[in-house]
Amino acid sequence: MTQDRRPARVSRRKLLAGAAAAPALTLATPSIAQGTLRGTKLTILAGQWFVPQTNAMLDQLAADLARDSGMEIKVERFAGDELMTKTASVIGSGRGADLAVGVEFDTHLYGARLSDVTDLADEIGRTYGGWMDSARAASVTGGRWKSLPIGQAPAAWNWRTDMFRAAGVERFPDTFAGLLDAAKKLHARGTPIGMTLGKASGDGRSTNYPVLWAFGGKEFEADGRTVAINSPGTLAAVEWYKEIYQYFIPGTTAWLDPDNNQAFLASKISATVNVNTIYLASRAAAATDPARKNIVDNMDHGQWPSGPAGRFACYNVNVWLPFASSPNKAGQREFLKAWYSRTFLPRWTKIGESYFIPQLVGFDTEDVWPADPKLRIFRELNKINRLPGYGGPPTAAAAEAVNKYILVDMFAKACTGQMTPRDAVAWAEKEYAQIVRRRTRT
Amino acid sequence: MGTSAAASGGTGTPGRSHRAVRRNPLTTLIDNERALGYLLVAPVVLLLLALVAYPFFMAIGYALSDRTLADPGVFIGLENFVLLWENQIYRQTLANTFIFTAGSVTIRLVLGVGLALLLNESFRFRRAVRAAILLPWIVPTVLGTMAWLWLFNPNFSVLNYILVNSGLMTTGFNWLTDPDLALFSVLLVNAWRGVPFMAITVLAGLQAIPQDLYDASSIDGAGKFQRFRYVTLPLVMPVLLTALVLSIIWTFSDFGIVYGLTKGGPMNATHVLATLSYQTGLASGNIGEGAAISLTMLPVLLVLIIWQLRRIRRSTAM
Repeated sequence: MTQDRRPARVSRRKLLAGAAAAPALTLATPSIAQGTLRGTKLTILAGQWFVPQTNAMLDQLAADLARDSGMEIKVERFAGDELMTKTASVIGSGRGADLAVGVEFDTHLYGARLSDVTDLADEIGRTYGGWMDSARAASVTGGRWKSLPIGQAPAAWNWRTDMFRAAGVERFPDTFAGLLDAAKKLHARGTPIGMTLGKASGDGRSTNYPVLWAFGGKEFEADGRTVAINSPGTLAAVEWYKEIYQYFIPGTTAWLDPDNNQAFLASKISATVNVNTIYLASRAAAATDPARKNIVDNMDHGQWPSGPAGRFACYNVNVWLPFASSPNKAGQREFLKAWYSRTFLPRWTKIGESYFIPQLVGFDTEDVWPADPKLRIFRELNKINRLPGYGGPPTAAAAEAVNKYILVDMFAKACTGQMTPRDAVAWAEKEYAQIVRRRTRT
Repeated sequence: MGTSAAASGGTGTPGRSHRAVRRNPLTTLIDNERALGYLLVAPVVLLLLALVAYPFFMAIGYALSDRTLADPGVFIGLENFVLLWENQIYRQTLANTFIFTAGSVTIRLVLGVGLALLLNESFRFRRAVRAAILLPWIVPTVLGTMAWLWLFNPNFSVLNYILVNSGLMTTGFNWLTDPDLALFSVLLVNAWRGVPFMAITVLAGLQAIPQDLYDASSIDGAGKFQRFRYVTLPLVMPVLLTALVLSIIWTFSDFGIVYGLTKGGPMNATHVLATLSYQTGLASGNIGEGAAISLTMLPVLLVLIIWQLRRIRRSTAM
C-alpha cells in the first residue's frame, strides 16, 4: 500500500484561507493583521511523537506561523521523561517556555499555573462537533479548560493471528475468561502473551487500569476523595491477574515502555497491549526485512475483552499546556488557533494513522481514518477511553497514584506472590489513602 | 592610615598632603591584611551561598511545607517527615538505599584495592591497562547504564544468552525482574562504575610509599602479607579513607544508574532516595514531600562530611 509519507506543508496563507472557508472556526487573527506579534518570542516544549511526520508537521506549522506573524518561534524537543522534567521546571520557576506538550495529568497537577483557554476550547468544540468526555476529563479543572487536548493514543491488543490459530484460538477473546484460556494454550505452545507490570509510564496504565475497571474495581468514589480501591471488584481483578500471570513470558514486572514492543517484534510473545506503533514500525520495515513482513502479515489489533462490569480502555492523552507565566499570551493563542485550524488538525491526525486522535466528536466522520484494514479498529477504540481516577473525576491524587505506579505494583505484588491478593489490595488502599490525605490537606 | 600619613607627612606641601589624603581606597584595603583576606575569600563565599546554601535552605523550607509545583503551600512543620515514615514505599526505599550503598561500596573497596595492588606491580602494557581501567569512570553514566540494560534486559539479556548457550544454565537469571536480584544488579552497575576511581586513587597512594620502607621491612624478615599489613595499609589508609567517604557520599545520592535501569522497579525493589525524591517531587509535583525525601539523606552525609573534614584538619595541622 502506498502511503503519503511527505511531511505536509501548511502555509499560514492556506491556513487562513481554510479558516475562511470554515466559518465555525474562524480563529480570527487580528494579532497577525496588526503585526502586534512581530518581534515577540514563543518557545514550545515538545517530545518526539513516534510517527516522524507528526513531528515534522509541528515544526512546519511553527515555521509558517513565525514567517506570517513575525514571531520568533522555537520548538525545543526533549526525549522521554526529560520533557516532563522540563515542564515541571517551567511550572516551578515561571520561566523557560510558553507552551508545552503535556499529558492529561498535568492539567490537574498544574492547573493553577496554566492559562484559561475555555473560550478557545468552546470555539474548537463548535467547529468539530463538540469535545468527547475524555477530552473534558483531561483538560477541565475547576470548571475551566486549562489545557487543550491534542489527542488520545488508543492502545489495542496487538496479537499474532498465526500463533493464536496454532494454539486453537481463531479470534481475539471477547471475555477475560476467554483471554485466560487463550493465554494457557499459547503458553503451552511456547508463544506466551505479556502484559506490562513494570514502571512503564505509558504501557503501565494502558495495560492495567482497564483490568481493574472491567471487574468493577475503582480507585475512588464519585467525589474523587474517598478511596474505593478495596472492593470485591478489585480483588476479582487481582485474582484474575495472578492466575494469568503464570502464563506470561518471564520478565514482565521489569518491563519499561519499549520492552513489550521489542518482545513482540522479536516474536517472543503472541499478544500485548500497545498503540499502533508496533504495526507501523513493522510495516515501515517490511519491504526490506522478511521477519517484519511476517509480523505485518500475521498480526492484528483487537479490543479489550469485556469483564463483569463492561469493556474499558485507558489511553495516554497528550494536551497543549499554555503556561500562565508566559509573557506572550497572544502568541500562545495564535499558535493554538493554527494547530486546531481545519487546514492543519485533520491532516495532522490522518498522517499519524490513528496514533493520536483528537477527542472531537466530529472527527468520527472526518477524512482522518487510515485506509489500512489492520488499523480500522482504532476508530472504534477511540470511543471508549477512561482516565485514571475513573469512578470519580480525574484529580491530582489520581495523577500522583499513576506516577507512583500504585495500581501496577498492586497487581505485580500479587502476581509474583510477594503478597496475597487481599494484602496487595490492602497495601494499595493504604497508599491511596496517604496520597489523598496529603493532597486534601489544605 | 591615609589620614595619618597626611598628618605626619611633614613636608607641608599641599600637593603631597593632597595625594596622601586621596589615597586609593583599594590600596588601603589591600594594605590591610585582614580586609584583604575577606576580599579574597568573598567570591568563593558568594558562590557557595548562591549555589549551595541558598538551595539547601530553600529545600529545608520546602520540606517543612506542603508546597506543590503549582501551589506555594503553607508551613506544616514536620508533617512531611511523619507521613513519610508511615509510608511503606519510603521505608522500603530507605532500606534499599542503605543496602545499595553498603553493597556497592564494599565491592568498590575490595575490587578497587585489589586492582590498585595489581596495577602497582610491573607488567607489560601496564600503562595501557591503567588507562583502560578508567573507562567505566569516564564513560557518561547514561551510556554505561544503557549498555548494562542490554546485558540485563528482561527479554534479551546478553548475559543470560551467554550463560544458557555455554551450558552453564538452562534459563538464565531474572536480573531486573526478581526484586532481590534487581537490587543486586543495580548496585553491581554502580560498583562497576566506581571501582576505577577507588583503584586509581589507592594506586596514587601506593606509589607515594617510599621503596626504602619495603626494603627495610624485607631485611627485617617481613613477608608479602606482613609488608602489606604493616607498611602498605597504614600508609595508604588516609587516601583509602578519603576515597571511601567520597564513594559512600556519591553512592548514597546516586540517581542515574537506578533510574536508567529500573526506574525504581520492580515493585519499588530498587527505589533509592534520589529516585523516589524525583518521582515524588518532579513527576508528581509534590515538591515539599520530594524535598523531605532528599533531606533524609542529610544526617548520614553530614556525619560523613564532618568526620572527613576533621580528618583533613588534623592531617594539615600535623
